[in-house]
Amino acid sequence: MKLEVHLFAGLFCNNEELDCFGETDFEMEVPENTTLNELVKLLNLELPYELIYMINGKRCDKSYCLKDKDRVGIFPPIGGG
Amino acid sequence: MKIVRVNMTNLSVKTEEVPQKWANLGGRALTSAIVAQEVDPVCHPLGKKNKLVFAPGILSGTAAPNSGRMSVGAKSPLTGGIKESNSGGSAAQKLARLGIKALIIEGLPEQGKYYSLHLSKDEAKLQEETDLVGKGNYEVIDTLSRRHGKNIGVITIGQAGEYKMLAANISIKDYHGYIRSAGRGGLGAVMASKGLKYITLDDTGTPPVPIAEPEKFRQAAKTFAQALKEHPVTGQGLPTYGTNVLVNIINEAGGLPTQNFRRGRFAGANKISGETMYEYITTRKGKPTHNCHAGCVISCSQVYNDESGNFVTAGFEYETIWGFGAVCCVDDLDIIAQADRICDDIGIDTIETAVAIATAMEGGVLPFGDGQKMLAILEEIKKGTYLGRIIGCGASVTGKVFGVSRVAVVKDQAIPAYDPRAVKGQGVTYATTPMGADHTAGYAVTSNILNVGGHVGPLAKEGNIELSKNLQIATAGIDSAGLCVFVAFSMLDKPEAMDAVNQLLEAISGKEFTYDHMLGLGRFVLKTEIDFNRAAGLTEVSDRLPEFFEEEIPPHNTTWDFTPDELQQVFADLKEEVKSPPAEVWMAPEDEPRTRPTVELH
Repeated sequence: MKLEVHLFAGLFCNNEELDCFGETDFEMEVPENTTLNELVKLLNLELPYELIYMINGKRCDKSYCLKDKDRVGIFPPIGGG
Repeated sequence: MKIVRVNMTNLSVKTEEVPQKWANLGGRALTSAIVAQEVDPVCHPLGKKNKLVFAPGILSGTAAPNSGRMSVGAKSPLTGGIKESNSGGSAAQKLARLGIKALIIEGLPEQGKYYSLHLSKDEAKLQEETDLVGKGNYEVIDTLSRRHGKNIGVITIGQAGEYKMLAANISIKDYHGYIRSAGRGGLGAVMASKGLKYITLDDTGTPPVPIAEPEKFRQAAKTFAQALKEHPVTGQGLPTYGTNVLVNIINEAGGLPTQNFRRGRFAGANKISGETMYEYITTRKGKPTHNCHAGCVISCSQVYNDESGNFVTAGFEYETIWGFGAVCCVDDLDIIAQADRICDDIGIDTIETAVAIATAMEGGVLPFGDGQKMLAILEEIKKGTYLGRIIGCGASVTGKVFGVSRVAVVKDQAIPAYDPRAVKGQGVTYATTPMGADHTAGYAVTSNILNVGGHVGPLAKEGNIELSKNLQIATAGIDSAGLCVFVAFSMLDKPEAMDAVNQLLEAISGKEFTYDHMLGLGRFVLKTEIDFNRAAGLTEVSDRLPEFFEEEIPPHNTTWDFTPDELQQVFADLKEEVKSPPAEVWMAPEDEPRTRPTVELH
C-alpha cells in the first residue's frame, strides 16, 4: 500500500537502503498491516525521546496499523506560542 | 521595593511604600491588582481616569533563568476590559534593580505635549520631549542608545501609539538593541494618551535584588536551568527553529487558520515554516538562536536578514508569520519579515494588524495573497492615513467599517494562530480569558497538539474546559513570577522544574511557597481581572466566539460547538473565591534601605 510521508523539524529518512534516504517529503510503498512503529524503524527515526505522530492530521500512537493512502506526519518534540 | 507614581497632569513623580497587601505580588498579579483598585472600570481608556502600570515579575532582576518578563497593565482601549501584556527585553530587570516594584503613570498632560521619563538610582526625571516625537521605535532606540550608552533600557511607543490606534503596542529594547513588544490590547495608545513617548532606565550602580536565602536560590536556579536545557522543547526545538517551528505541526493538525479562518491548512505552509526560515537565516548569516533577555536559557528568538545579508527583523515569531502569512494567504517569508519590521518600528501588534488586514481582504479592500499591497497598507498606518487608521484600530473596527461579518475576534481582540474548531482547548481560552482572544493566557496547544503535559483531544469537547481552566490559572501565576511562559513546557513534564520554581519563590522571600500557592496566586489574578471586566460591562455574554465558527473547517470539518453554559463552567468556582491576595507567602524580606529615585521636575 502507498503512504504519503512528511518528516519535520530536522527529521529525515535515515535508512540508506531506501530510495527516500535523506528526504523529508515522499511517497513510499509498505506491506499491508504495517504499523507506525514498524515504519519508524524502517525509516530509522528512532531517537532518545518520544516523537509526535499524526495520521491524516490526527494524533495517534505507534501501535496504529497503517492504511493505504494514509498521510503520515512525524515530528520531534517541539513547541512555541 | 517601592512604587513610583508619575502624575502627568501636574508632572510630578513620587515614590511610595508598597502597601502590605501588594507586598507579595509582582508582574501580572500586581498590574491587575493596581488597575482593579485604582482605575474606574467604566472610564474611557484614553481619558484621565485610566492608569498605565509597569511591573517586573517577582523573580525579575535575579539570576533565576528566564525571569525577565515585564507586565504592563491598564484598561484596554481595544477590549474595554482589563489588560495585561508582558514582554521580554531589559526593562523588567532594570526596573527590579532600581528597586521599583511598580511604575504607575496616571493623569493627562496638556493636550499635544509629549514627555520622557528617565529613571536611575539617583533621579526620576520627567521632561518635555520634542525631538523624537513622530519617530519610529528603531530611531528612538538608536538615538537614546547613543545619548545614554548601549546598556540603557528603553520603553517606547512608535507612530501607531501616537495616533492612539487601538492596536498600538509598547516596545521594549532588548540587550542587543532589538525590539520586543508588550503587544496586545492597545497599551501603546494608553501610553500616548498620557503624553509619554518613552522611558529610559539606567540601573548603573544599583544593588542586587534582595534574596532571603541566597544559597537555596542559587541551587534552585541551577536545577531550573538544567531542566530547561534537558527538555527537548526548551532545550532543542525552540532554540533551533524558534516559535515558527509551529507552522508545520499546526498545519498538519488542520488548525492553521487560512484565508481569514476558512481552512485549517495553508498550501504555502512549508514556504513560511520554521524549517525554511532556519535555512534562510543560516545561509544569509543571520542568527537562528538569540535571547530576548539576559538569563534566558531557551533563546527562541532569532535575527533574520534579507537576501543581501542585511538585517530585517529580530524576534520573528510564529503568530506574526501565520498572521501576515496564512491568514492573509501570503507565502513569501521575506515579505512577511518586512511586515514584521514595519510593525516593530511603528509600534503595532502584529496579530491584531494581520487579522485586520485579512478582514480588509474579506471586505474587498485588497485581494487575499497580495503581499505588496499588504506592505503598502502598513505604510499607510505609519502615515496615519484614513485607511491606515482604520486598519490600525484592529480587526473589529476594520470589519465594522467595511461591512464584514466574518471577523475573528473575542472581546474585540483578534484571534491568533490556532483555529478554535481544530484546537478546542485553545478556543475555550479565547472565549473565557479576561484578556480577549489571547493564545498565551492558557496555551492548550500543549496538550491538544504538542504532547506536553498529557494529551487532550483537540477535535472533541471532552477535557478541554478543564484543560483551559488549569492552564489559565497556572499561566497567571507564571506571568506574575516574571517567568517566560515557555518554561511551562518543562514544568508540565518535569517535576524537578516545577519544584525549582517553587524553591526560587521560596528562597527570594524566605516564606513557604508550594504549587498550591502558585495556583492560589493564579486564581487571585483571574478573579481580580474577571471582576474588573464585569464592572466594566464585559459580562458572560462577552465570553463567546463569533458565530461564523459554527461553520465546518476543513480538513477535519469540525465546528465550534461549546454552549454558553459549558463555557461558564471554566471559572464557575472562582465566583466563590476571596478577593484578597493569597496568604502572606514570599513577602520581600526587610533589607538595607535601597537607593530611592529623587524627584526632579521640569
